[in-house]
Amino acid sequence: MRVKIVMELRDVPGQLTKAIEPVARLGGNIQGIMHQRERKTPLGRIPVMLVFEIKDKKTLEKLLAELKKNGIAVTQIGESIRGVKRTTILIGHIIHTDIRDTIDRLNGIPGVRVSDMSLAMSELGKDSSARMTITADSEGSSNLAIKKLRQISEQKDLLLITSLEGEE
Amino acid sequence: MRLILVGFGNLGRGLGITLAEKQEFLKKRQGLVPKVVAIVDETGALVNDDGIPSAKFVAMARSGKKVEKLAGAKKGEIVHDTIEKVAADVVLELTPTNIKTGEPGLGHIKTAMKSNKHVITSNKGPLVVAFKELDALAKSQGVEFRYSASVGGAIPVIELARKLLAGNEVQEIKGVLNGTTNYILTRMGEEGAPFDMVLKEAQELGMAEKDPSLDIDGFDTAAKLVILTNSLLAINAKLKDVKIAGIRKITPEAIKLARDAGQAIKLVGAAKKGMLEVSPKMVPLGQPLAVSGSLNAVTLKLDLAREISITGFGAGPKETSSSLLGDLIDLHRTLGC
Ligand SMILES: NC(=O)c1ccc[n+]([C@@H]2O[C@H](COP(=O)([O-])OP(=O)(O)OC[C@H]3O[C@@H](n4cnc5c(N)ncnc54)[C@H](OP(=O)(O)O)[C@@H]3O)[C@@H](O)[C@H]2O)c1
Repeated sequence: MRVKIVMELRDVPGQLTKAIEPVARLGGNIQGIMHQRERKTPLGRIPVMLVFEIKDKKTLEKLLAELKKNGIAVTQIGESIRGVKRTTILIGHIIHTDIRDTIDRLNGIPGVRVSDMSLAMSELGKDSSARMTITADSEGSSNLAIKKLRQISEQKDLLLITSLEGEE
Repeated sequence: MRLILVGFGNLGRGLGITLAEKQEFLKKRQGLVPKVVAIVDETGALVNDDGIPSAKFVAMARSGKKVEKLAGAKKGEIVHDTIEKVAADVVLELTPTNIKTGEPGLGHIKTAMKSNKHVITSNKGPLVVAFKELDALAKSQGVEFRYSASVGGAIPVIELARKLLAGNEVQEIKGVLNGTTNYILTRMGEEGAPFDMVLKEAQELGMAEKDPSLDIDGFDTAAKLVILTNSLLAINAKLKDVKIAGIRKITPEAIKLARDAGQAIKLVGAAKKGMLEVSPKMVPLGQPLAVSGSLNAVTLKLDLAREISITGFGAGPKETSSSLLGDLIDLHRTLGC
């Protein structure tokens, strides 16, 4: 999963190493570091934003504990855990074609989670509509999920509407 | 510049009125003096070698009569004969679209080119069925061929890409290309009303045809996508290459769910190498393609300019005459006639 944290570092040499060493050691992959010098705190600390990919929640907690031990203050865990979000709409006999099964099959893809679902029923016997948000930990698994949902929609005769946003 | 109008319906009449109203403007600003030397439809032709006087022309256009009923007209199926024999520079082909056979427009255009006349058309049929063939015929005959009005009504997307963006390679085209479906989806969203009801309203208002299938099942959008693909992506695409889904299944609930997530549902035609598709898509509100009502919009993805979008009125006689007239002025500048 991809994580964004903001920590406050003292403006002395060696601080950054202290912060990123545990990320590397725990198998994380750093994707971006940004010093926010213009936002220096009254005590002279510098906020640093760090974006990295890490295995799972458990490893992240381990990392946060290590940072704390190193005396590094993490002030934000950027929107906690970010991922690639895709919003889709489904129209058809959503419930009768086993919505639970649809969700399970998506959740079955590694790194993919149906993170939000809103259902709007229409008159009895008519098509209902649903909005489904699929969160994935990478672009690749997100595309896989959409592909799967397309297959499922064809099997279950549902109309799938994807968004131009985030489409390649 | 001597013109033959083939088809005297909404667009033929609309163009006639525009030409008359803009006579001074065209002469002063563009140095263009258009003379309509023949008007012809399926059952009659009116020929006037000196050019039909514009006051008379406007009266005829406003009368709404078929050509055979106009004073001085000849009766009979003499379209091809007229195109061939009347001395003219440009044939404006403005007959009804048939996306399966391309006729009658396809035949008219071929006859015109073969008799060494330049062609301007608003008719999608011939372009969808025989784009390559017509393009080649125009080249071998040494005549000009323009079809700005066939896609997007007033929106000059084809000429924009070909002229002003000529240094770019167009990589992808996305468009909301059908005013009727866009109107229906917009109204469904505003009123929370179901598809059938809004379609009926659109038909009563003349916004949708009695047989609305071409529009709502996505064929009209697909036809326009095929034209854009051929002309801007240089891919020899046919209608059968397009994966098509229309808007019949869209519910007002779906539109609301999308809107709550900051998106609108639009019928989008999308084309790039290896992919031609017409389907309902969510478009983030505020993006150029999220146009409402009967508006059309096109976004081009380009190698240099990255993205260019253009929006406007996709139909209507006056609006579309903007494109027809644009083509006419372009020919005037190219040919000097
Ligand atoms: N209206 C728009 O806003 C718009 C915008 C862009 C493109 N277009 C396209 O432009 C074309 C013209 O549209 P429109 O709205 O003007 O259509 P329209 O009102 O139906 O007019 C078509 C004209 O063509 C004539 N015609 C029919 N069959 C013919 C034949 N075999 N030979 C000669 N003439 C024939 C009709 O005569 P009769 O009345 O005797 O049948 C009529 O005068 C269509 O292809 C349309 O798809 C229209």
